Amino acid sequence: MKHLITAAALAALAATPAMAGEIRVGSVAGVTGPIAELVAPIVAGRNLAAAHINANGGLLDGDTLVLVLADSQCDPKAGVDAGNKVVNVEQVVAIVGASCSGATNGMVQSVTIPAGIPSVSDSATAPSITDLDDNNLVFRTAPSDAYQGAALAKLAWEAGYRKLAVTYANDDYNAGIAEVFVANFEGLGGKVTANQVHEPNKASYRAEITTLSGGGAEALALFAYYGGSGITIIRNALETGAFGKFMAADGMFDVSVIEQIGAENLRGNLMITQSASDPSNTSYQLFAEAYKSTGMDPGAPYAAHGYDATFLIALAIEQAGAADPALIAAALPEVANAPGEIIRPGEWEKAKALIAAGKAVNYEGASGSVDFDAAGDVPGFYSVNTINAEGKFEMRFLR
Amino acid sequence: MEQYYGYFLYLLSLLTMGGIYAVLTLGLNVQWGFTGLFNAGIAGFFAVGAYVQAILTTPIYARHLGGYEWPIPLAMLAAMALSAVVGYGVAKICIRLRADYLAIATIGIAEIIRLVFKNEGWATNGPRGISQIPKAFEDLPQPWNTLAFVAMVLAIVMVIYLALERARTAPWGRVMTAIRENEAAAAAAGKNVERFRLESFVIGSALMGLGGALMAQYLKQIDPQVSDPLTATFLVFVMLIAGGSANNKGAILGAMLMWTVWSATEILTSRLPDEFAIRSAYVRIFLIGLILQFILQRRPQGILPERRPKPHPRLRGDRAPAANTGSTKQ
Repeated sequence: MKHLITAAALAALAATPAMAGEIRVGSVAGVTGPIAELVAPIVAGRNLAAAHINANGGLLDGDTLVLVLADSQCDPKAGVDAGNKVVNVEQVVAIVGASCSGATNGMVQSVTIPAGIPSVSDSATAPSITDLDDNNLVFRTAPSDAYQGAALAKLAWEAGYRKLAVTYANDDYNAGIAEVFVANFEGLGGKVTANQVHEPNKASYRAEITTLSGGGAEALALFAYYGGSGITIIRNALETGAFGKFMAADGMFDVSVIEQIGAENLRGNLMITQSASDPSNTSYQLFAEAYKSTGMDPGAPYAAHGYDATFLIALAIEQAGAADPALIAAALPEVANAPGEIIRPGEWEKAKALIAAGKAVNYEGASGSVDFDAAGDVPGFYSVNTINAEGKFEMRFLR
Repeated sequence: MEQYYGYFLYLLSLLTMGGIYAVLTLGLNVQWGFTGLFNAGIAGFFAVGAYVQAILTTPIYARHLGGYEWPIPLAMLAAMALSAVVGYGVAKICIRLRADYLAIATIGIAEIIRLVFKNEGWATNGPRGISQIPKAFEDLPQPWNTLAFVAMVLAIVMVIYLALERARTAPWGRVMTAIRENEAAAAAAGKNVERFRLESFVIGSALMGLGGALMAQYLKQIDPQVSDPLTATFLVFVMLIAGGSANNKGAILGAMLMWTVWSATEILTSRLPDEFAIRSAYVRIFLIGLILQFILQRRPQGILPERRPKPHPRLRGDRAPAANTGSTKQ
């Protein structure tokens, strides 16, 4: 019995995390589960920010920023469990994440809001997060879907489309964008001739396309993941001659769309919006260069948002002057919004010096200006991608 | 000090999730453990309970059905009742199927239920799910709200445990065992096998619905992903088989133990460098499979094996002289 107690005490000591000289921040991501392959680059973005901070003086009095990874599996059950672990066992002062809107919704409502821990999600896009009663603790650097749907609707209207057919994959992300798109397009005066949901991962979508092509639409607005159903739908639509022109959101942004359909079929016929950073923006260039040097593709969805979320939390800790969750939550909008001297990705030393001198800072991130509104949301920035003469994506930033 | 307080809160979260899973496992124990009904559609009944709880208690919201704002206990009863009704409907159709066919039928039904919830967006907000679900005791200050919720979950587990123990040792439970072991013999003894199987299925389904109602409150958010078969059906089976099928204590132990393994292993792996931490997330899923394999190979009866109830004292008294005379007459 005595041995048992000794062993248990030793184990408890070994697991005691709060080491001197380190400040823990939770890094909650859907490492396993349906979006696993999208999450790896996002986590790499978060880690890059932590590496920048630690290499340039660290937090406060030279403390190390430690990101503690936990798996939210894109499932509210796992999100709540991951939140409980990082908040209670690891005693983090803030959280980057979670991935996926459902897991984020569960984690913040069940764990972090009651515990008073601020969280900044880099990939939860559901409009329902805006509506939460969150005591100003929930932020996100990923824009709400509401914005991308609106941006694409405006683009369609400006491109001269008046009658569109809409189909969307039955998952939370694509359904959300489609809903906003339809509302905005109709608000502009356009007509949606058919609006149909489809289940992803079917071998053929000819039946759906036949239904959609009935109303004489000029193009098909397609909200799907390229691997799930998007490519098959475009192929079936071209084969049957039902549609020749397509509009899509960022779930379709991948070179395999060009490779499998053929650039000659898509040139001038496909527009894809993507949550994007302005490539002429210095902030984005700074991030892209650093991210590329780690062997990753800076165009990966939400990688820049992951970097920004982590960097913002670090700035807030510095601004708060202590690893105290309540002060960090209050400092987050201060360091993200104007007024203040502009800080860009990687400029940790400069920011640290300014904050130490009592000056205001305003972080201009890789993903955009990251100015939080009252609900903790950021405005969306988008690009439109078309296929150029060389058969590659050509990006135009939407202003 | 704060660190130990944190461990304590984490322990409470393990007990809460373990307790909710124990409700599911006890429900499955009635079906599979007692009666031998291979219900592979736990996720479906769980989802019915979770959505009923969510829809009946949430305030009005434009994106889904709601605004009824029922008191929480009433909604939990409704969740149980509706799960029981769905269970009755399913049982009416497929209860006569033998073990593996019942499994095929129920797994299909669970998927149908999940897809209905995913597609009937006007009622359930589709894949986006329902958020801001009221939770019992959430208005109390920290940590009393957490403590009260854990206490409620554990009290519910205790009540179910006592009721099922009573049922197990009662003649009802013995008929269930007889059906599980030899259906033809039970029928020959004059038992209405089909009706008993139906009762067992409905009771189990109601408990699964209650598990769903508790989960909806605890998470405060449900979407179709919550009733994913991996964590809502197969994990429950693993828990029951590991703990000890047909043993109610085993069902509770299995739920607590497997949830702790599922959750707490990450605390160790999160200390690894990121590259390994990401991989180890998959190793944890593999680990659950490995534990199941090991238990099935080495200890197929589970950690706490089934213990048959002792015969009623009166019966024992009758039998003793019979054994003395060496007669087999009863």
